[in-house]
Amino acid sequence: MHQIKRKLPGFWFTLPSLTLTVVLGVYPILWAMRFMFFDYQGFGAERFVGFANFDRLFSDREFGTSVANTFVYAGGKLALTLPLSLLLAVLLNRAFRGRNLLRAIYFLPTIISASVMSIVFFILFNSYNGVINQFLLKLGVIDDSIAWLGPDKAMLTAILIAVWGAVGNYMLLFIAGLQGIPADVYESASLDGANGAQKFWFITIPMLGPVLQMVMMLAIINSLKGYESIMVLTEGGPIGKTEVMFLYVYKLFFPISTSGSSDVQQIGYGSAVGFATAVIVGVVTLVYFAASKRLNRLY
Amino acid sequence: MKKSALLAMGLALALGATACGGDNETSKESAESSGGAKTGEKIKISYWTIDRHDADYIKQVVDEFNATNTDNIEVEYVVKADDYAQALDLAFTAKQAPDVFRAKEGTIQTYYKKGYMAPLDDYMTEEQKKEFQAIPDLNQFDGKIYSFPNYGSTMRLVYNKDLFAKAGIANPPTTLAELVEDAKKLTEAGKDIGAYGFALPFKNAGSAWNRSARVIAELSGYGGFGFDFKTARYDFSGFKEIAKAFKQMVDDGSTLPGMEALDIDPLRAQFAEGKIGMYLSYSSEPGVYKTQFPAKIDWAAAQAPTIDGTVKGASGFLGGQWLAINANSEHKDAAWKFVNYMYGNEILKEYQEKGYGISMVADIISSAEKPDINGIEGFMPSKYDGVWPVQPTVTVEGSKAEDAFWKYILVGGDLDQIVGDLNDRYNSALDKAIADGDVTIEPDPDFDSTKLAGAFAE
Amino acid sequence: MTVKAYELRRQVARSTSKHRWGPGLGKLALWAFLIGMAAALLFPIVIAFLGSFKSNAELTAGATFLPSEWHFSNYGEVWEQAHFSTYTWNSAFISVFSTIGTLLIASLAAYAVDRMDFLGKKTYVILQSATMFISIGAVVLRPQFELMVNLGLHTSLWSVILILISGHASTFFILLSFMKGIPKDLDESAMIDGCSRLWTYSRIILPLLAPGLGVAGLFAFRHAWNEYILPLVFTMSQPNLQVLTVGLAGLRYGISSAAQTHYMMAGACLSILPLLLAYVLANKSFMQMTAGSVKG
Repeated sequence: MHQIKRKLPGFWFTLPSLTLTVVLGVYPILWAMRFMFFDYQGFGAERFVGFANFDRLFSDREFGTSVANTFVYAGGKLALTLPLSLLLAVLLNRAFRGRNLLRAIYFLPTIISASVMSIVFFILFNSYNGVINQFLLKLGVIDDSIAWLGPDKAMLTAILIAVWGAVGNYMLLFIAGLQGIPADVYESASLDGANGAQKFWFITIPMLGPVLQMVMMLAIINSLKGYESIMVLTEGGPIGKTEVMFLYVYKLFFPISTSGSSDVQQIGYGSAVGFATAVIVGVVTLVYFAASKRLNRLY
Repeated sequence: MKKSALLAMGLALALGATACGGDNETSKESAESSGGAKTGEKIKISYWTIDRHDADYIKQVVDEFNATNTDNIEVEYVVKADDYAQALDLAFTAKQAPDVFRAKEGTIQTYYKKGYMAPLDDYMTEEQKKEFQAIPDLNQFDGKIYSFPNYGSTMRLVYNKDLFAKAGIANPPTTLAELVEDAKKLTEAGKDIGAYGFALPFKNAGSAWNRSARVIAELSGYGGFGFDFKTARYDFSGFKEIAKAFKQMVDDGSTLPGMEALDIDPLRAQFAEGKIGMYLSYSSEPGVYKTQFPAKIDWAAAQAPTIDGTVKGASGFLGGQWLAINANSEHKDAAWKFVNYMYGNEILKEYQEKGYGISMVADIISSAEKPDINGIEGFMPSKYDGVWPVQPTVTVEGSKAEDAFWKYILVGGDLDQIVGDLNDRYNSALDKAIADGDVTIEPDPDFDSTKLAGAFAE
Repeated sequence: MTVKAYELRRQVARSTSKHRWGPGLGKLALWAFLIGMAAALLFPIVIAFLGSFKSNAELTAGATFLPSEWHFSNYGEVWEQAHFSTYTWNSAFISVFSTIGTLLIASLAAYAVDRMDFLGKKTYVILQSATMFISIGAVVLRPQFELMVNLGLHTSLWSVILILISGHASTFFILLSFMKGIPKDLDESAMIDGCSRLWTYSRIILPLLAPGLGVAGLFAFRHAWNEYILPLVFTMSQPNLQVLTVGLAGLRYGISSAAQTHYMMAGACLSILPLLLAYVLANKSFMQMTAGSVKG
């Protein structure tokens, strides 16, 4: 009895957190897991259809494309952001005049909302009267406007914008990690005649290992989930070129209709697709875990 | 001890509740109890619309209603843009929907299915029953009327007369081949000012396709949304030539760069600046180029081209509905009073005379003067305009027709295969809808779209 | 090694470190790179800033860098006619309350998890970690929306605030790591003196947690301020509840939308302003926070 009494206060302290998490976090997931077996348009009858939504999912070309797009987007973003931010972190790790100012500048984009940023970038990059094209045309660098948001370049533009917004954040994470590496290690290496590059590969990277792992995992998950800036920038891009899977799910629930039509929500199917996207992210995370464990053993 | 935590949260909640956002009005449910209004307290109702070409005029009209009505009703007039459909859906889910809202020919069937609208039959006076036509599927469902017609929209080719003159083209194109030719010539002529021959708001493929390819198809005798009323099946083959022509224009470089990121309003802004030679759209454009984006160029509207130059159908005259009352409104009587006022003859007449729309109401057509707004002449109904029946709404799996055609236009592909695939998918969605009982439609072997035309000609 | 010898060795190392960046050319290249990056990262912000003072015609037509005339009135117009005053108030409202709520709830939970033992503690921590990784995207918006309608909260911004607070998992873990740094003896001495857990929490721990709270609070505030999709869906039908991010995006569909590019720029700058201010004043905290999450 006394033991239980002692265990109670802790429970009360976490109750608000638990309540909110369960009601607003867990319940929606359960809701989706029920609706993915139904056909429901947001009004009228909810028809039980068993696995029909999943059959449709497997033959859904648009979904397949959106998954591919997601990986291209995430992969591109990471491939550009991580090396860049690591490089910046290394360069800005030792003190020199202006370092703090530079750090502050690099971090600045991360405090801006993705949607606000994308609106500014839309004004900059659209090809019918975008600021960037006008500059380039005026400077004579190009003859015709570049179709930044056209089918060929839209994904690249989206990735560049994502990199722009993320570099500062990862740079700081790396700086924190770098600060965990004692300076003596570098010093003894210098005394042994190692140059900058060698120190980077043989000291920095290995010792940054655990931090790198954690950062990469966060980065992978966030990149796979991100769709807000794409939504504002291209709404899925010309002919679905920038449609990532989370945006695809959003559109099933909140169709972006044209002025003269009222699209029907596809809640049952949307729940199934949402479930599938969560599974995909989960699989990627697990694969990553397994891979990094093995890498750990190597190092 | 949980008391203090709860107290703190309660305090915060209380503080917050009194400080809920700017001039936010608490929900109408709490403002007045249902039933009559207390003396001195206004009945507040809201009216949402997506129409913005007539915003100035309607605001005036609403203000006047608010100032002069004797029932103490105050109407909040909200103009929404392209998020209208989503916002309305969410509002209904949240039971926050406006009391009066705009229904269009493309949305009223869905609104009926979703149960958004209240039937108006009991409110209608005898005169109104005579004056306002009941058109099945456009404002009448299951024998009940849910909205009255006001104005209809015709669809036309909108073109920049200055640029046409500069390019030496005497008349706007009447065939697809001429369309492509002219676009090229216009682009050539517009090189020095950065103007291009053709553009459409392809940021949203539906918005672009359904104001352009649709009317070309309809004039050529094909259902504007791919539905063949003769066979009661979907058949998109009628769009093949149109898609090819659009693709040709893109390949020729005659289309405004960045068209894929263009919404309708930015497109209109570009047209007003003289950067676009021609495009296709609805009869709301005169209002747009008078107040929204004052046109800096001389422009006019002409009948849309047909596939081969001959008219084998009818140019869609869209309309048949305007205002609808929310079925769940707490103030239906007040809403009706407002709707009744809006449908008054003076307002409908002025609406046409000021050029915001072409009336579909026989009495108004005969008594109102011709609208006085630049560019409206081209939009006035001719012997080729007619009201098409409404095709069934189906939820198709995979990309919609407009998206599939747009993709073809941008990156090419096997058009026959694309059309075949669309037919398969749309027809299986149709079959499913019929099986589920959502749709009932019979083939009409006598259907002839040329017979639709001419009902509204002067 | 004697202290002096160690110092000597350090000096040698330091002098070597200067040469580590190679001859002047290498150093120049690196500086060019750093400055180039800074310029690239600042460019859009600068353009937005300068653009917010241009007239619309100049923005859409010309390719000028500096405005030919400084239209400070743009800001006034955006504030009044484009309702940015309302949007700013709404953003501030949800940001302040969701930050307070998040800090309160997360710190209570962090305290419990660090200091106390209770039923289901392990499950709770696993649950919190799980919420950070498992995401089904926009699907949750619909049930959350329906829930709020049933609770009657959908007519105010409290629905948004509650949902924002429910995403406190990361704050929880950050505060947990800060909590670990506060000595447990303090608790014990307080409890021996007969103070309740809650009293200990509020009078002793919270003040000591202040730096952690400040930093976590800053991040919670930033997250709430920058949130777009959640308030978009919840305020789509209630324009006077909209927040800055939503209002700004809505400008694209305004009545004379394309004609308002200068408003969009001004609006964007307005949206960034409060966070920018906080950033300038407290940028060390922002950076410390990001860094701190690495150690956590």
